[in-house]
Amino acid sequence: MEIDGNTLVLVFVFLFILYSNPSGDGVTSQYEYNQLQTLKAQYQDEYSQFQNLTSDNNFRNITGLRLSYGDVLRNPDINATYPIEGKDYDHWYSDEKYTLLPEDVLHEVNNSVWQHGKNVYPANLTSTLHGRVVNSHGNYLKVPMPIPEYYEPAQDLSQNQPAFNEPYFTDPAGREAARNITFDEGEIVIEISSADTTSSFFEDEHHFHNSQSDKLRFLHMNLHFSDPAYNEKHVINTKAIYDIKNGRIMAISESAKFHSLFALPHYINLKSEDEAFFNAVKTLVEEYWNATDFVNTRSMAYLQDSYATANFKCEFLAFLQLEPWWGYSQEQLKIVDEELMWPLGRRANLSSLPPVNISSGIIYSPDCGIKLQVSNAHGLRYELQVRKMRKLLLCGALLLASQIYLLLSQMQHTNTPSMVNKISYWCFSLMNLVDGSLAIIFFVLTSSIPVLYLPLIMCSFACLILASVFEIRYLISVYASQANEQSVGIMTLLRRSTEGEERRTPTVMPDEASISTSLYRTYIVKMFFSMIVILSMTTWPQSVRMPIECIIIFLLNSYWVPQIARNAIKGNEPRRRQIFANDGPQHQRQNKMPLLWSFTIGTSVIRFVPVAYVYTVPSNVFYHHQDRLFVAVVALWLVLQMGVLYSQEIIGARWFLPNYSIPEGYSYHKGISSGELLEHGSSANYTIDCAICMTDVAVYVDDIDETHKVDKDSYMVTPCGHIFHTQCLENWMSYKLQCPVCRAPLPPL
Amino acid sequence: MSTDTPQGLNNFPITKFCSLLTVGIPIFASIAGVKHWFLLYNDPFISEYKQYYRLLSFQVSAVNETDVALLTLIWYHLRHLERLFGSRKYLSIITLSWFYSSLTVLILAQVFNLNPLINWNRFTSGGLPTIMSVLHFYKEYTPQMYQFDVKLIKPFGTRSKQLKWTFNDQFVINALVAILLLNQGFVGVATGFLSWLCGVFIDKGLLPGSEMFRVPFFKQKSSLRPRQTSSIEAEAGAQAADDQQSSATGDRADEEPNDEPARPLGVQFLNTFRM
Repeated sequence: MEIDGNTLVLVFVFLFILYSNPSGDGVTSQYEYNQLQTLKAQYQDEYSQFQNLTSDNNFRNITGLRLSYGDVLRNPDINATYPIEGKDYDHWYSDEKYTLLPEDVLHEVNNSVWQHGKNVYPANLTSTLHGRVVNSHGNYLKVPMPIPEYYEPAQDLSQNQPAFNEPYFTDPAGREAARNITFDEGEIVIEISSADTTSSFFEDEHHFHNSQSDKLRFLHMNLHFSDPAYNEKHVINTKAIYDIKNGRIMAISESAKFHSLFALPHYINLKSEDEAFFNAVKTLVEEYWNATDFVNTRSMAYLQDSYATANFKCEFLAFLQLEPWWGYSQEQLKIVDEELMWPLGRRANLSSLPPVNISSGIIYSPDCGIKLQVSNAHGLRYELQVRKMRKLLLCGALLLASQIYLLLSQMQHTNTPSMVNKISYWCFSLMNLVDGSLAIIFFVLTSSIPVLYLPLIMCSFACLILASVFEIRYLISVYASQANEQSVGIMTLLRRSTEGEERRTPTVMPDEASISTSLYRTYIVKMFFSMIVILSMTTWPQSVRMPIECIIIFLLNSYWVPQIARNAIKGNEPRRRQIFANDGPQHQRQNKMPLLWSFTIGTSVIRFVPVAYVYTVPSNVFYHHQDRLFVAVVALWLVLQMGVLYSQEIIGARWFLPNYSIPEGYSYHKGISSGELLEHGSSANYTIDCAICMTDVAVYVDDIDETHKVDKDSYMVTPCGHIFHTQCLENWMSYKLQCPVCRAPLPPL
Repeated sequence: MSTDTPQGLNNFPITKFCSLLTVGIPIFASIAGVKHWFLLYNDPFISEYKQYYRLLSFQVSAVNETDVALLTLIWYHLRHLERLFGSRKYLSIITLSWFYSSLTVLILAQVFNLNPLINWNRFTSGGLPTIMSVLHFYKEYTPQMYQFDVKLIKPFGTRSKQLKWTFNDQFVINALVAILLLNQGFVGVATGFLSWLCGVFIDKGLLPGSEMFRVPFFKQKSSLRPRQTSSIEAEAGAQAADDQQSSATGDRADEEPNDEPARPLGVQFLNTFRM
């Protein structure tokens, strides 16, 4: 292509369009630009007020902090427009006149949640804690928290300037219902991460230098609470201050109606009311503000998100007390932290590290009047949890490797079509479904847990190899060896003969390439559907998910049932009779069981161990509920299946079938009549040409006595009436179960 | 002995074993998150934590990806030694080299540290000392096959002289070893030199064992299978086998004659993807 001036201009225009709109902060209109500028100006103004704030000074014109619980108590219909008449802005005491909290909540925080006395607490709290939460239905007034109107989207296209009012309309009923917490007792999950990491989708990662990291930490905390059945879920994103010396955590949610960042110094100082401590926290907030460049990094996405949060969620203040780590000194904790962050083999004794435990706490919502009590929320340090998961994944990889080995030895064991023919297609199809889905699950997890990328991708790869190479390969050969049975009824299969049934025209058997194409196609479709089902199942409420999960696991653990059925169809002699009946190699081969016992037992154990782990180990990494009864049922079911398989080997595959349904199987070794002999164009000494080796076959003719010396085992008569040497046909049948002359399907040996 | 090296690593079990371990252990270590098992520092691991297992493990696996690649390539180049010595003697020499080079480096580090001006704290990771010691045997016992000159005519302007460099067939392994030494800094070079001396002393008998010591419980496989001999021999052998088979069909009636070549499992897998 020739590049001239016009092309260059075109390229520049194209690049201009590509990069110019929308700009980095997501503004797409004049209105939005003004909206964002207003937000920034508001934050800047509030920050300058915050800088002048002292420990004995009240909040002035800061969004969400204009009113106190006492103001509302005095006048329930109070309007929060600054300045409020008669409000004391020049003092600060931690009582309900000045704070957002009612007196009894304050009392509880100070006396039963936050404890006296300094102790040793872990400095780094990054972890996920699980605990109980109780809704104590107190009768609290709601402090009105209006959403400033400039947060609202434009009413029409001509509107350029956002309004500045703060409307005090009553909440619509629907919104109220979505926000309210109705359960009495539920579960709480607290995700704690350091402020260096991203808190939400709309904020970038910042590394900020905390000059007082030995005393205070700035945290992001996500609180999830739900009722035990997971019908009602609430998620709150908060910013928190952690007072390391006292083990206190104070977290406040943030939204369009509550600019809570500025409230942190006052509220963590509720108990001690210490000026130096107030100033330290204030410095920390200022450091965070400057490091994140808070005003300039506000984007349109942030604005819209905090508007949505303000509309649909309550604001919360959480006061949590950590349990001390008894018996650790500061130096030991430092070593532990370093070892967790950068493992080198220091003497940290990580295995005996206690969990992070929030012994008590109160979560209070001023605008919804809800009080929740948290107790005993505990969990392992994040790095330890990751180690635990890594170990589990390594065990999983080991299981997968042994499964691959067992499958390979099983494939070696059944290396002829006649042997493969006895394997059940559905048995391996079920295993294949599980392994393929596992590969997908592991792969999806790699993106959600990037720390464990390597072990996860290795497990995913091992599953993929197992499912889509080895198992599919085996399925293809099973399918190919059973292709000639597809048009045959089950009774005929049991009888192993085609007598009495209308002979169909021999179908053209599909070759392996076309079988593998179709099997891979179904495999991919199956994987796709199971992925959708699994992903959607994780979001179902527990009451629905639990029984379905149990049923699915039970069904997926019934993989030997199809094999039992297949054994019954193919039929084999009891072992005792096999030992006594030494009538030639054919019998031995016909009676070999298709599955290796090492494979059967090994596979059952390998597939049972993960289920047992998830359902019986209380500290399992999936936080899955415990159900020992179900595990016992699955184990019994597997043992029962294997027991039936064993009984089939010992007393015959068809012992559970009634006698009349077990007719004689087809026998290749039989005498023929002289009529048939004539049909084959016999020669003078009653022999027939073997179509395979083109030499004579001596046959046993029932009505000619001279031929009765001939051993019936030395030749074979196919159901379609063709006659071959035993050796010739058996060799042929280890490649294909089709008559070499007329392509009619042959019953396998 | 033919001058051509056999293709592949089929007949080099020890080379194969060493290369696989050189790659496999680091992969396992990074998956399991235990790379630090293979680090050795005097302070704090030995002097403070008393983790003496590191004295044994520091040569087992390299921590750095470049070292892993280099070490694997060097093991591959050293395969001529296995051919020359035979697998058992080769493994014995590797074991001796590992033992003596570890010992020398560790003891000399302590000796150097007596001098207050020197602080030898960090040790190399990966099998660098063993490789350097074995390299002496390679240099000593493998003949140079060819050499070639690279001439640069007046490389720096018209007045400069002609430059001539002579390379031989071992220049690749020389380059690899040089990078390996430099990659770990000064410690790498020092350790490399000491371990190379170890190799010399083992060879000369100053460090005992190269003649007496043999790895126990070692089963020597027959070095070449009949199929891998020259094609004429193979055909002759196959014919003889066929004759034998046809004469002995009586006692081996249930064994199938090879009318169609059996497809090994590997071929079957590959065929699956030929659609």
